[in-house]
Amino acid sequence: MTLQVHITQLGSAQRVLLQGLRFEVPAGHILTLMGPSGSGKSSVLAAIAGTLGSVAEGAQALHAQASVRLNGEDISLRPTAQRGVGLLFQDALLFAHLTVAENLLFAVPPGPRALRMAQVQQALTEAGLQGYGERDPATLSGGQRARVALMRALLAQPKALLLDEPFSKLDTTLRDQFRAFVFEHIRARQIPAVLVTHDAADVADPDRLMVLNHAG
Amino acid sequence: MTAFRLPFATALLLLAGLPLLATAALALAALLDAAAWRALWEDPHWLRALSLTLWTGLASTALAWWVSAALLAQGFVRQSLGPLLRGLPVMLATPHAALAIGLVFLLAPSGWLLRALSPWLTGFEFPPPWPTTQDPWGLGLIAALTAKEIPFLLWTAATQLQRDDLRQRWRSEHALAQTLGYSPQRAFWRVVWPQLSARLWWPLLAVLAYGLTVVDMALVIGPASPPTLAVLAWQWLQDADLAVNAQGAAAGGVLTLTLLGTALLWRGLQRLHRRGGQRLNGRRGAASTPAGAQPPVGLPASHLLLVGLYGAVLLALAVGSIAGVWPFPRVWPETLTWQAWHRVWDSRSTVGTTLGLALASAALALAWSVAWLELAPRRWDTALRPVLYLSLVLPAVLWVVGLYSLALQWRLEGQWLGLLLAHTAMVLPYVLLALSPAYLGFDARYAQLSASLGHGPWHFLWRIKWPLLRRALAASAAVGFAVSVAQYLPTLYIGAGRFSSVTTEAVNLAAGGQRSLTSAYAGLQFVLPVLAFALAAWLGAPRRFKPAHP
Repeated sequence: MTLQVHITQLGSAQRVLLQGLRFEVPAGHILTLMGPSGSGKSSVLAAIAGTLGSVAEGAQALHAQASVRLNGEDISLRPTAQRGVGLLFQDALLFAHLTVAENLLFAVPPGPRALRMAQVQQALTEAGLQGYGERDPATLSGGQRARVALMRALLAQPKALLLDEPFSKLDTTLRDQFRAFVFEHIRARQIPAVLVTHDAADVADPDRLMVLNHAG
Repeated sequence: MTAFRLPFATALLLLAGLPLLATAALALAALLDAAAWRALWEDPHWLRALSLTLWTGLASTALAWWVSAALLAQGFVRQSLGPLLRGLPVMLATPHAALAIGLVFLLAPSGWLLRALSPWLTGFEFPPPWPTTQDPWGLGLIAALTAKEIPFLLWTAATQLQRDDLRQRWRSEHALAQTLGYSPQRAFWRVVWPQLSARLWWPLLAVLAYGLTVVDMALVIGPASPPTLAVLAWQWLQDADLAVNAQGAAAGGVLTLTLLGTALLWRGLQRLHRRGGQRLNGRRGAASTPAGAQPPVGLPASHLLLVGLYGAVLLALAVGSIAGVWPFPRVWPETLTWQAWHRVWDSRSTVGTTLGLALASAALALAWSVAWLELAPRRWDTALRPVLYLSLVLPAVLWVVGLYSLALQWRLEGQWLGLLLAHTAMVLPYVLLALSPAYLGFDARYAQLSASLGHGPWHFLWRIKWPLLRRALAASAAVGFAVSVAQYLPTLYIGAGRFSSVTTEAVNLAAGGQRSLTSAYAGLQFVLPVLAFALAAWLGAPRRFKPAHP
């Protein structure tokens, strides 16, 4: 499984954010994107996931001319739901109206109920959160929420994972633990991943590092 | 300022809470009359009237709820919430009675719809003897209520969706659900709607209460023999016989119980639906569009239908008010005349009363709401909302009984001041409902920031907070204005017949045959709030900055 991205141009009606960006991420590897605020790092992820439309509305709406290939297949014209690209944000964004287990269940593909519940239980175990299933997500600590968010993204069986500064709101100790947790899971699942960060300590693989400079 | 906070909040609470509670208590006290209940029980019409009430109230609420939900889903998914909400103030401002009167002029046997189709299609040379407007099944009433409540529900949803914190989080959650494989439509229904609909419980209750207890609209377009229970109660309340009055209050009590019962039933059904487990079966939903195709943009057809209906009603009122001789089946009047408007001008004190009451009650309610939201501790606010919403959820026919007894005790019946207080009591919950989301959602860090820059609390309120909340403040005042203009029962009952507003005139005239004068008053009833909303939109418009030159 390989992720190939070629962005010819990305920007709004008023200005161009970036041009001619091209990279390739093999399965189980993590590419790190760095750059100053406003350089369009997060927009690159949105272009890959097909969520550019919900980032900004109206005059600031962003458009991308991009080709995104997953395993050789062009997915750039598909709606987000059919791309098979998971996304992890800075905030855990656990659905407030669902319990922790229901948040996970939401991501499990349809099938026999017992089987789906088993997947949820296993995910809770992997996240070190046995017995937390019935809890209100708001009662979890920051680190616990982050782990649930990752497990939720993985339960949907994505073919690639995008990480939009997922460590930036955690304190240093938690940050190291959660980073290791995320990288381990990505390598174990053998899927390509793209990480956007401000922090040099987050870089997963120094050989796969891109720094964006503001083009405008 | 902090030292005065609690005393001031207490004073505010007493100022609004006491009269509201007293009104409710007096209204409920009127129900402690065994003879009245016996008389009601023996009345031959009340059961049939009650079943009509249940049918029209529940059907219109359910319809309005579903259509609003579908419209919001489309708007959210297609990112066209802005255009969807743009025409809303006009629809929201339309008083119930004006909409009902306009609908009658459209749908009646001699109305525009049949004129447009006659005689070439229907063959009618004379209006057919059809019961199309005051139909015994309440269909006209259901249509009018539904058309009126959809904009209200959409607008209360919009007050939630316009909160920066909620909008951003729901947009992100919606995008996230799509990265998990859910289609945009289903992502809305599974993730956004459960959170949004939970916040629409009070507005929904208001819609349900209105549908079950409406009088002015039912007088115009509802079934007549028997009418709905609220109309029956209103007729009894106006009777010269005190025993019959008490029977009317008892019917108001039945309406209260009905409302309570249906609200609990609705809650139960919602909970049952939630338990259904449907939500979490993991089905992603079919893609609404094939891969590669552009998703549909623009507004859904049902929205255009709604806009068209309001447009047609407005046009019917405008043309009706200047129509002279207008034989069936001609589509356009033979002669036009300004006579109706001359008569409106001659009784301009009616317009003056309406304007004065609306401006004063909206201003009072806005001042109170701002002070309350600013000063009251959040716990008080949450605990006391039910009291503040009393006039919203108690049936109007029962509420005016309480208001009237209170006015009698304070010697305010038939006086402008009494009328003003009665209007303010009706306006307050709407203004509070309109203002709270934006006001309570205001980022508390701005206050800390302003204080850290050395500014006092008043400077912060006048220079930062209120200007930033300008749109919400102006819109809530306009809502208050519109609610006051639309008041029928309190104006008539507390005013003891000494005051007339454009609404009481329009509803009373609707029973007679004066098409042009009725249209003129109904049109005026429509124009006044629309002007208020236009003014609010202008006052609340965001600041324009010079375009940036890169």
